[in-house]
Amino acid sequence: MGLGSLRTYGLLIAIIVISLFFYLQNSAFAKPENLLVLLRSMASLGMIAFAQLLVIIAGELDLSVGAVYGLAATTLAVLWLAPNASMRLPFHPELPFLLALALALCVGLGAGWINAFFTTVVKIPSFIATLGMLSIAGGAELLLSNASNFNPAYNVPPADATEVQWFRALGATTLPFGIPVQVGWLALFFVVFWVVRHRTLFGFRLLAIGGNAPASEVNRLPVRRYKFIVFMLCGFMAGLAGILDFSYIGSIGPNSGAPLTFPVFAAVVIGGASLSGGRGTVFGTLMGAVLLAVLRNGLAIMGVGAFAQLIFVGAVTIGAVTIDVLGQRASRRS
Amino acid sequence: MSAGTSPVLEQAPPTVTMELRAIQKSFGETQALRGVDLVIRSGEILGVAGPNGAGKSTLLRILAGEETRDSGDILVDGQAWSTGDPRDRVAVVHQEPQLWPALTVAQNMVVGREPTRFGFPSLPDADRATLDELDIGRYADRILDTCPLAVRQRVEIARALARNGRFFLFDEPNSALTDEESDRLFSSMHELAARGRVVILVTHRLAEMVAHCDRVVVVRDGRVAAELEGATLTEPAIARELVLGYQTVSGDGTGRPPIPVALAGGAAVLAVNGWTATTGEFRDVSMSIRRGEVLAIVGVEGSGARELTASTAGYVAASGRIMVDAVEGREAMLRRTAYLPADRRGMLFANLTVGDNLVMRLGIPEIADPTGLVRPARARRVATGLVDRFRVRTQSVRAPLTSLSGGNQQKIAIAAAIAKRPAVLVLEEPTRGVDIGSKAEIYRILVDFAREGNGVLVFCTEVPEVHELADRVLVFEDGHPVRTLDVAGFPDLTSLSDAVAAADHTGVGSPTAAT
Repeated sequence: MGLGSLRTYGLLIAIIVISLFFYLQNSAFAKPENLLVLLRSMASLGMIAFAQLLVIIAGELDLSVGAVYGLAATTLAVLWLAPNASMRLPFHPELPFLLALALALCVGLGAGWINAFFTTVVKIPSFIATLGMLSIAGGAELLLSNASNFNPAYNVPPADATEVQWFRALGATTLPFGIPVQVGWLALFFVVFWVVRHRTLFGFRLLAIGGNAPASEVNRLPVRRYKFIVFMLCGFMAGLAGILDFSYIGSIGPNSGAPLTFPVFAAVVIGGASLSGGRGTVFGTLMGAVLLAVLRNGLAIMGVGAFAQLIFVGAVTIGAVTIDVLGQRASRRS
Repeated sequence: MSAGTSPVLEQAPPTVTMELRAIQKSFGETQALRGVDLVIRSGEILGVAGPNGAGKSTLLRILAGEETRDSGDILVDGQAWSTGDPRDRVAVVHQEPQLWPALTVAQNMVVGREPTRFGFPSLPDADRATLDELDIGRYADRILDTCPLAVRQRVEIARALARNGRFFLFDEPNSALTDEESDRLFSSMHELAARGRVVILVTHRLAEMVAHCDRVVVVRDGRVAAELEGATLTEPAIARELVLGYQTVSGDGTGRPPIPVALAGGAAVLAVNGWTATTGEFRDVSMSIRRGEVLAIVGVEGSGARELTASTAGYVAASGRIMVDAVEGREAMLRRTAYLPADRRGMLFANLTVGDNLVMRLGIPEIADPTGLVRPARARRVATGLVDRFRVRTQSVRAPLTSLSGGNQQKIAIAAAIAKRPAVLVLEEPTRGVDIGSKAEIYRILVDFAREGNGVLVFCTEVPEVHELADRVLVFEDGHPVRTLDVAGFPDLTSLSDAVAAADHTGVGSPTAAT
């Protein structure tokens, strides 16, 4: 058993202990309905965190996910819906829903491509490249939408009813047993990313690329191509998550993805990935996301306000990584 | 440095003696130093020579305060040596100075000994005088990074002088300097010695040792094996001492199997023509490796030998014609060569297991399906096969790489490269930091690989390695091969060593020619 799995078990125990604490405070925490709400609330965070994990394993990071999330959702709204006159949009092509959806997803891929280009071809640190993209995507979103709110179900003039149904099917419907469709998406992508990371040649080589970049060159691994893939995957997942949340909530407003930046990184890091690359598991990342969701949900049930929750979540992130670092130092000494 | 009155240098006491007694140092099982006894007096320049892995670097690191000794005493003028006294600290002048590149020369002078507690420090007059003394006063306000290498090295000397340091260690200081800059550096060394400082010089260039040192000690097998002085201090004498007592790993060089008759005199497996480095380290080189042959390239740092080696696998940019495995062009080079740099950390993955490292160069179909899914059982079988074939001593293929000894890690790197079935294996110093037992195995692996009809190109820094491993050796100097030697034509190590050393300073700009 490697240190990675030891750490994952520690995380599982922490989740159980914290859940037990919340349950003892208020038994409503453990009701199936609440657990489904909890899982639903972490769906988009988890999906983005899986992709971010691959970027981090490759030794890079993508700070732009929150902005790309909002930009993709807004792009869908702007391309698809007929605007209200008061919005004064720069352009409104009123495309069919499926075409607008495809283009919105391409926005995520495109942002990822640009991030990868500047990181691997121009060779500037991904911190800078994606920090710039954070601002660019955020600005593009505001410019495109003129900071408007969109709500397809109550749009004036109304959108095509069938198209609205398709739109709602993405994120706002329920699977059998009352499982929210977003939980289904999360499960699907958990499996997909688990296979990619743990069973494919791609995932195997990604560990090498992030673990030792110069050695990867010496071993003639396709470093640049793989980094393009992970950045584009990350942009795509951020865009998709934005669109699914747009569908679930029913409306999209300016800069709605900004609060995601922190928890995405927190989930990956709590899950045991190393920010210097070459280490991290999909299951650990999922557990990191679960821990954050449990905290927010449990604290909310206890009546702790959203502002105080932020303080808790930040402290827990630092605490989790501190325990890990201390544990590693101790095991190295023994 | 101006001769005559020299206020800064006069501050030092006239003489100082450093005495090393029975210095020992072990790293795990390996005993790097087995009791070094050495007396170093001010006023002389002491040369320290030694083959790689003989304990020289460990000794130098202990003197520089970068490593602590396990046992033994170091005395300065009969008193216990302590790095706590700034005057006793040994100032190391590096090949690449270790200073603060983003600060000015003046700021570099005062870092760590700033005259003010508050505010931004300025250059004290005494320090300015020291810079002037070393003829670099006009660089005081330049950012260090923008200064020539020779100036940066002088800043290292100036920093030591400013704290009244008495011990100077020059570690391969002129390998990247021009001849003129080298001469100035050497005259600085002589000046320091003349003014009562202890000066130690480490260099691979034997001619320079003979020209500038009063005494040379050869470190071998963790001890001071020889002291050469006066009439005995000659280049061949040092060269002989460096290879003397060397434990041959295959008896003598003739122990290795000959090139099979079917391959002998056959076609080249790698050939370059008009091969020139984009950054100029070597120019217009033509050479070839025959199938079945191990070709060694030797040359001091800066001769272009190392860069040429890496360029044949595409890791130093070069232009010209290259042909690998009967196909011409860069594409064939990238596909049919495998490269192993000198630094193990540059080719292995410490975050992965032994097995993962062994199969890292492989892909579809060796360890994965056409769909890109890894077949763990197949990968493990491949890795286990390599462990057996190359006799890697490991608990299992699942053991972390870092649990293995240096020699076994080196075998893993070579095994992983051979597993990819290249036509030409390109290596730099393949046994650096490797124990003697693993050395023998590595030589056997490489020779066997060549005899299967492949080519091996190896950059060596030591004659014994050439003797054990290579069929032919190309001696490089100043960007060109100056001589080709047929290793089989030299019955013993000493004669080969003399021949390589002779070839080493025939070219223009050699240190002996300059003095």
